Formats: sequence, structure tokens, C-alpha cells
Amino acid sequence: MAMRNAYVDQFPAEAKVIKAAFWSSFLALAIGGLLGLVQALHRTDVVRFIDSADYYTVLTAHGVLLAITFTIFFLVGIFTWAVTTSLERGVVDTRFTWSWYAMMVVGTVLVGVTIFAGFLEDAPEILGAPLNADVLFTFYAPLQAHPFFYVGLVLFVVGSWLAGVDWFRTWWAWRGENPDERIPLPTFMVLTTTLFWYICTFGVALSILVFLLPWSLGIVDSVNPLLTRTLFWYFGHAVVYFWLMPAYMMWYIMLPKLSGGKLFSDPLARVVFVLFLLLSTPLGIHHQYLDPGIAEGYKFIAMTNTMFLLLPSLLTAFTVVASMEHGARQRGGEGYLGWLRALPWRDPVFTGMALAGLMFAAAGFSGMINAGMNINYLVHNTWWVVGHFHLTVGTAVALTFMAAAYWFIPQVTGKALWNRSVALGQVLLWFIGMTFMSNAMHRSGLFGMPRRTAEPQYSGFEFEPAAGTVGEINAQVALGAVILTVSLALFLLNMVLTSFNGSSDAIPDNTYAGTLSGPEDAPEILDNLKLWTAIAIVLVIFAYTLPVASIVENGGLFGPGIEGQQLTLVPDTATVLETVREVMP
Amino acid sequence: MRVSKAGLLVVAAIVIPIVVEFRTALSWFGIELSVLEGVALAVTIVLAIVVWAVWPSDGNGNAETEPTDPE
Repeated sequence: MAMRNAYVDQFPAEAKVIKAAFWSSFLALAIGGLLGLVQALHRTDVVRFIDSADYYTVLTAHGVLLAITFTIFFLVGIFTWAVTTSLERGVVDTRFTWSWYAMMVVGTVLVGVTIFAGFLEDAPEILGAPLNADVLFTFYAPLQAHPFFYVGLVLFVVGSWLAGVDWFRTWWAWRGENPDERIPLPTFMVLTTTLFWYICTFGVALSILVFLLPWSLGIVDSVNPLLTRTLFWYFGHAVVYFWLMPAYMMWYIMLPKLSGGKLFSDPLARVVFVLFLLLSTPLGIHHQYLDPGIAEGYKFIAMTNTMFLLLPSLLTAFTVVASMEHGARQRGGEGYLGWLRALPWRDPVFTGMALAGLMFAAAGFSGMINAGMNINYLVHNTWWVVGHFHLTVGTAVALTFMAAAYWFIPQVTGKALWNRSVALGQVLLWFIGMTFMSNAMHRSGLFGMPRRTAEPQYSGFEFEPAAGTVGEINAQVALGAVILTVSLALFLLNMVLTSFNGSSDAIPDNTYAGTLSGPEDAPEILDNLKLWTAIAIVLVIFAYTLPVASIVENGGLFGPGIEGQQLTLVPDTATVLETVREVMP
Repeated sequence: MRVSKAGLLVVAAIVIPIVVEFRTALSWFGIELSVLEGVALAVTIVLAIVVWAVWPSDGNGNAETEPTDPE
């Protein structure tokens, strides 16, 4: 019998932590995904079984559980795999690894309990404040959450910082043993991503620890909402790339291998990750184009930085497609496009990742609309934006992670995947469901349908779609959400039943793609992490010093007496109608 | 078959965004397809692809064996 060489055989202790991180991620995905269906059916008025006031509790839980918990738990699992596999050594101390994982779990539980307490009729008072956090994913002041929400976020983020320390320690230990070696590509990707995570989370840490948490505890009376909002977006766009980098890593080091070939260019991949380290953070103000109090010039700089960031994504598209073509030709594919037929479409890992990449291309186009200062005004705060990020984090990231799980769960458990055909159907259903949902969301944004609204149906006012009808668009969203939920259920079923499988000897070896052009072709300066980090910090200083100084000068460090507010809905139809008539006679 | 069954499934799935977006794009030129017409268009395209996929490629009625993954 051939000797099995799966990840669990090479690194059994690390495999346990990774498995725990993956299951934490899947649990968040299950709850958050189900809440997504509730929202889609409620907003479109297909089925309403929650109060509209509770919609915002659901929305907060959906956003936090999926955009933060699901993505980052999966990320820490995949990055731990990448570092240990590519350095061919375990982490320095597994107890440290378990400790950061535990810290992230405690943070998640605190945040989760605080959010879900919002469903209670009478939320318990703890520390002198009602336990709830209906503040949505962005927790903009003056909306105020219970202190536990902010403490939970801090614990989660500090846990992820310690995970970064773990990866760096492992790399330093390896470097001591291999002083003349280039950083292996997967570890290089992990380290550069971790560095910009440290840079960008500094903003949100400052916002929470200096302003929002003391404010929620009553230590300070007021905050400056524009300042905390700007600090949020200092982090808020870079976090998008934090989710995305593990997906990029999978596309670079797994897709070529699954295609049957090698990565086209290791140096180009390093350039891409260096560009993300440099440019991920100094552009968050592009989320604030409509915020008064930030001069247009600063917004223009943020737009320019954002457009520069298209370059690494285009380089990635080129490199990954070239690698897939190389793989397909190794498998006998021929012709200008005929090679596509030689790709392993039966493999759900490959197909899921390839379709996720395809959807990401569409997301890039709608992202350019968001990033353009003038055209952003058309879609700002509309459902278009929701359609956009369901293509990015909801497909490019989530679908890649689910597809990757079909490879990783057997690797970390030693158990064969329960059903490959169901897995293939699952990734195709996700692609189809997201097509319906995100297309309708984008279209409705074009005629101004707002996001973050429980009931976007207004008396005496009709939206005017450029194509189709509002009813048809709502039906498309509801249909898409149902298909996505079925897809999610199939994914979870496959994961659960795989974990009940017995140990298998048929698990593929734990390897990743080789390269056609390897690290020896990459200039050594690319591995100079100190240099790139220093430049990244300088760029952040250039982009943010003057806008932040201006915000503080105009509004004060702690704002002009802004008191916290809990999100409430008063079911007074007459008042609502009167307000609507005032703005839309 | 000219393509594998899995390849055929993927192509059928990719037809859906193409038709959905094509219907939106057509409306900019004043051509409005109803939902039913859109569904009919998608079904027709998928059927055409299925027929192409299962049609013998050598013209002699000798169907090729289904491409298989070498893995």
C-alpha cells in the first residue's frame, strides 16, 4: 500500500488547529448565510416573518458573521497551512497557535451574543447598558453598540494579529535554518498580507480603543462620527483585500496544479502581493465620496490610488489564465480556445475556483464604477453596492473558499470527500444563484433603490427601472437567494458527511503548484519586506495625514457632543409618509 | 460526446449570466424581452449546446468517447 502523504500525516498538530478554524468558519457561514435568505425574502416582500426593526439585527449578524468571522477564520486556517507546507516545518509552538485561535473564538462569541441579544424583547442590562449591537457591519457612530461588541471585535482582531506573529515566528525559525533561501511563494504571500493587515487594523483599533469603546462605557461623552468613520474605512477597504488574498493564493498555487500545469510566473506573483501591501490601505476614502467634511482633493487622491490597484488584479488575471492554459495544454488541449475543454471541469475544486475568478472579473467592472468619483454618486448607498460585494466577498472569496474546502478538509482530516458530484453541483448552483441575485441588485441600484432598508416599498412613489419591472427584479433576488441557500446547504451537508467518513488512503499528496519561472528569476529586492512595509507606511501617511488633521480641526477629536443612539423603528406610518412626501412630493 | 458531461454542465451554467445580462443589454437598444422570452432563449441556447455536444463530431454517426480527466 502506498504511503499516504496528506497534510494531516505531515503536521498532525497543526492540522487540528486548522480543522477547528475551518469549522468555526463554516458555522459562521451557515448562520450568516441563512440570515441572508431571511433578508432577501423580507426586503423583496416575498415572505416577512420578522419585524422590520429586527431586520437590522439580522443585517448586522449577516455582515459580521460572513464578512469578518467566516472569511478570517478560513484565512487563518489556510495561511497556517501555507506557511507550514511551504516551509516544510511546523509552527514554533502549537500552544501559541491554539491560544490565538481561542482568542478569536472568545471575540466571536462576545460579538455574536451581543448582536443576537437584539432579538430579545427586553435585552438584559450589563455594565449599565442594554445588550445589543444593531450597528451594522460598519458600526458608524452615532449608532452605539454595547461595549461587549467592541471588546469582542478587539479580541478577534488581536487574535488575528497573534496569528500573524505565529506565521512570522515560523518563518524566522525557518530562515535561521535556511539563511540563503528565497522565501517560498506561499509564505511570501502570507507575510505580505499579514503586514498590510497590521497597517490597516491600526485604524480600526484606534477607532475602537480610543473613541468607541470609552464612549460606550461612558468614559467619554462624545465622539467625532466623521473621524471614527474615516478610521473605519482606513481599515474597511484593506479588509477586502485581506479576505481576497487567500483566494488569490489559491488561484496562484492551486489552480495551476489542478489544471495539470505550473504557475506561469513566481516573480509576477510576488510583484502582485507587494503591490497589495503598498496600495491596499491608502485608498479607504473612496468609500466616503459623499461624506461632507472631506475635501474633494483628498477624495481624488483616494480615487487615483484605487485605480492603481486595478493593476495587480489584471496581472493576476493574466498570470492565472496563462497558468491554466499551460496546464490544459499539458493535458492535450489545443487551439486558441479549444484548450478550455481539456481543463478538469469535473473537479469541484477547480471548477469552483475558476467560476469564482470569472465572477471576480465582473466584480472588477462594477468596482470601477464604485471607485470613480463622479459615477459613484449614481450608485452610492444603493443596492448596486450590495450586488458588487456579493460578487467579491460573496463569490470570488466565498466560492473559492468552499471549493478549496473540498481539497483542504480531506487534507486536514485524512477522510475522503463524501460526494464529488454533489460538490460540483454545489459550486455551479452558487454561480447561478449569485448571477440572479447580484444582477438584480446592480440593476436596482441604477434606479436608486437604497441598501440597508427593511422595506424599500414607498407609498405614492414608484421606482422606474430602465429595464424590466421592480417585481421582476425582486423575484430575481429572491430566486437567487433561495438557490444560494440550497447551494450552501449542500456544501455543509458534504462537509458534515465527510467528517463522518472513515480514514482514507486515497487522499492526494499535500503539494502546491510548481513554477515555470521560479523565484530565481525574481529580483531579490522583492523579498525585502522591511522596505515594502516602510513604503506602505509612507503612502498611508501621505494619504491620511491631511484629511484626518482637517477632520479633527473641524469637528474636534471627540466631536461636538455626539451622544450614542440605539437603532429603533417607530411604527408610525403617518410620520413616515409625511417624511417621504417632504422629500418626494 | 464533444465535451465531458461536467464541461457541458459548466457551459450550461455560464449561459445563465450571459442570457441575464444580454436581456438587460438588449433593453438599452429598445428590445425588451419578457421573463418568459428570456427563459425560452436560455433553454434554446442550452438545448443547442447539448445537441452540439452529443452530436458525433466525425459526421459518420460514430460518437467519440467522452473525454475523461487524466487524473
